[in-house]
Amino acid sequence: MRITQSMISNNMLRNLSSSYSKLDKFNDQLATGKKINRPSDDPVIAMKGMYYRSDVTQIEQYQRNLSEAYNWIESSDEALDKVGSTIQRMRDLAVQGASGTNSKESNEALALEIKQLISHIGSIGNTQVGDKYVFNGTNTTQPPVDMTINTAADGTITLGGTYPTATSYSPFNVSVSLNVNVAVNTNPSNIFDQATLQKIVDLHNGLQSNDPKAIQTGLGELDNILQNVLAARTQIGATQNRVEMIDDRLGTQEIIANRIMSDNEDAEIEQVITELKTQESVHNAALGVGARIIQPTLLDFLR
Amino acid sequence: MRSSFMGLETAKRGMYTQQAALSVLGHNIANANTAGYTRQRVNVKQTSAFPNVGFDKPYLPGQMGTGSEAGSIQRIRESFLDIQYRSDNSQLGYYASRTDALTKMEDIMNEPSEQGLAKTMDRFWQSLQDLSVNPSNSGARTVVLERAKAVAETFNYVSGSLKAVQSDLQNQLEVETKNINSLLNQIQNVNRQIADVEPHGMLPNDLYDERDRLLDQLSGLVKIKTSYSSSGGNSLSSAEGKVTVDLVDENGSVIESGRVIDGNDIKIDPKQLKVNYNTATKLVESVSIGNNTVDVEKFTTSGKLTSLIDSYGYTKDPLTNDTNGLYPSMLKELDLIANTFANEFNKVHSAYFAGPPASTATNLNDKQGGYFFSDGTAGLPEDQVVGSGSVAALTTINASNIKVNITNVNNIAAGLSTNDGDGQNALKLAEVMRRNDLDFGGTPKTITSITSYYQGVVGSMGVQSQEAERLMSNSAILVDAVDQNRQSVSSVSIDEEMTEMVKFQHAYNAAARNITAIDEMLDKVINSMGIVGR
Repeated sequence: MRITQSMISNNMLRNLSSSYSKLDKFNDQLATGKKINRPSDDPVIAMKGMYYRSDVTQIEQYQRNLSEAYNWIESSDEALDKVGSTIQRMRDLAVQGASGTNSKESNEALALEIKQLISHIGSIGNTQVGDKYVFNGTNTTQPPVDMTINTAADGTITLGGTYPTATSYSPFNVSVSLNVNVAVNTNPSNIFDQATLQKIVDLHNGLQSNDPKAIQTGLGELDNILQNVLAARTQIGATQNRVEMIDDRLGTQEIIANRIMSDNEDAEIEQVITELKTQESVHNAALGVGARIIQPTLLDFLR
Repeated sequence: MRSSFMGLETAKRGMYTQQAALSVLGHNIANANTAGYTRQRVNVKQTSAFPNVGFDKPYLPGQMGTGSEAGSIQRIRESFLDIQYRSDNSQLGYYASRTDALTKMEDIMNEPSEQGLAKTMDRFWQSLQDLSVNPSNSGARTVVLERAKAVAETFNYVSGSLKAVQSDLQNQLEVETKNINSLLNQIQNVNRQIADVEPHGMLPNDLYDERDRLLDQLSGLVKIKTSYSSSGGNSLSSAEGKVTVDLVDENGSVIESGRVIDGNDIKIDPKQLKVNYNTATKLVESVSIGNNTVDVEKFTTSGKLTSLIDSYGYTKDPLTNDTNGLYPSMLKELDLIANTFANEFNKVHSAYFAGPPASTATNLNDKQGGYFFSDGTAGLPEDQVVGSGSVAALTTINASNIKVNITNVNNIAAGLSTNDGDGQNALKLAEVMRRNDLDFGGTPKTITSITSYYQGVVGSMGVQSQEAERLMSNSAILVDAVDQNRQSVSSVSIDEEMTEMVKFQHAYNAAARNITAIDEMLDKVINSMGIVGR
């Protein structure tokens, strides 16, 4: 084949430009850390990449939802724990009152404390997470308990106001996985309801009027309430376990999803650098050879 | 008997011939870097020998040579390589322009990335999830509204940018059509000049080069076939004649009214190309060649022009106003995604209700949802009287007009009950983006999710683009290879010219020396003969 100077310089230019385009590709990969920068680089990787990204976003979001779930569960548990210790305190007071050795005055004093404790339970019923009432189902902007205590002339009390009922509860669902919703709130209808509180009121009135029989009944009822509180806390504990398990699973999923995404689209830096170095030496050689080849002509040697 | 002075004439002819060769060589060197230049050679031929055969021929032992002359000056070129080059060049023109269009499309779609439509949709999904756990929080509601706006604006932006590129493509289409017409006119002009020169028995090499250069350029824009017809008169056998240019399809057959330049009748002007658009779709409907109109389907000559028509879009049947081509298809897909998504979202948003009618509403959720997304029409209900049922689908929603209809964050229907803390509908809304039972139409029906449908659209764009790039680099390699071969035959080699120069110079010098020798010989005869004893 006949080769002319213009062919050599054209070829050299073409080779240099293809070498530059390879260097550019490696530069892109190193700068972005990604194997591909546009769908046409590898459509399959691009499509998978979009899918995995969405996957990772989903997992991150579910984890965010989980922290909200924890917030609810822990606040409810904490509140019910307080209810438990309040009932316990009431029980201590009732036991004192039931001993029969107390004077009417000292039982009245006990009744006074119980009265305070009743309004304490009422205020626990209005526990908030952020600005949301946790014991009112999904009606989170309204306080569930609106307690008024009417004191009669003889010191006995009656309850007024509104309280949660069995129908006022609705599950507050938090989405923690695709199509998995967890109800994170507790049904307060056997703790903060009017019937339950009425039993404590009866106890108070028993103490106030120094009625040993009523005190005994009240004592028994307190045990029942305590049972209810414990049952509710067990329920919460179970939910918490479930949420923790989901949390664990999401944690693993997050790692896996990120790894798959990275395997799919991230450039292997060592490999790219090695290839870049190889390309660099090829490029240098091409430049060097080119410079030597295009210079001399026969002219240099003719006198 | 031969003439005493014959040697002088022979040597003079030698000098003239070598001088002519040196001049042509100088022309070659001067054009060593001229694009499209073909090296030229002097066809040196011997002059007719002495004596001629005849009754009164002088008595000589044989015919004696009388020297040389420059017969003709010819280009060194292989026309077969031109045919190959032009065929591959059309292919390259087509795929280079297609790659260009698809690359721009990829840039606009910007997937996979942290800014593309997919990510924007994901963020919207996230905000709805956040709303589901904080439905009474107006901050969460505002975020949902803003991210919904981001989704609508991303649709608008992508659609708008695609349309901007599409109109650029139309400009390009017009420019390239003008370019083709101008090339055709130039070729015909060169044809006419060649037809003037050739009958005089000369070879207009530089005009040939000019014409080949123009044909090479034309071949990148449309696929052509060339044939030649003689100029008549005293044309040399090596004269190329006048070129006839036909537009041909993939298989090399001439397309309908594809003869744009007729070499047999160079008086008529070449046929001009004109692209005609459909009045309804604004897409290419036909191409006029001269006075004939060819349907876009039948205009099958590959090259940059067809690629631009493909990318810009065309209408096959003006009755159905169908739209085909890269950009119209992508716009159609985006419109479909925006429409399906918005209508499904509106449906879910407006389906749920509870509580008192909107007029007496006190809680955030005490009204039924209305249109969440609109087609830009103002005044669509954001909420409606409880019990109304889902709002009617808006068939007019597309990627360019999709807009968030909600202005008051409290009109986002997050719940399934009157309770402010109920975020169940927010979850259902979030599911719209993941549910895989959405109907995207088509036959057979495509039932899938928004995200996977969109992934499919981006994936198929990637495949198309990758294929175009691959075919472009393939045809570029072919064009380069053929061009190499062409250069190998036709381009000027300085070394070679130098060698020739030395050769011709020596021959020139020798011829001059020959004259000196004959001069001395004649001097002997004239001045030194017949003086015996003087």
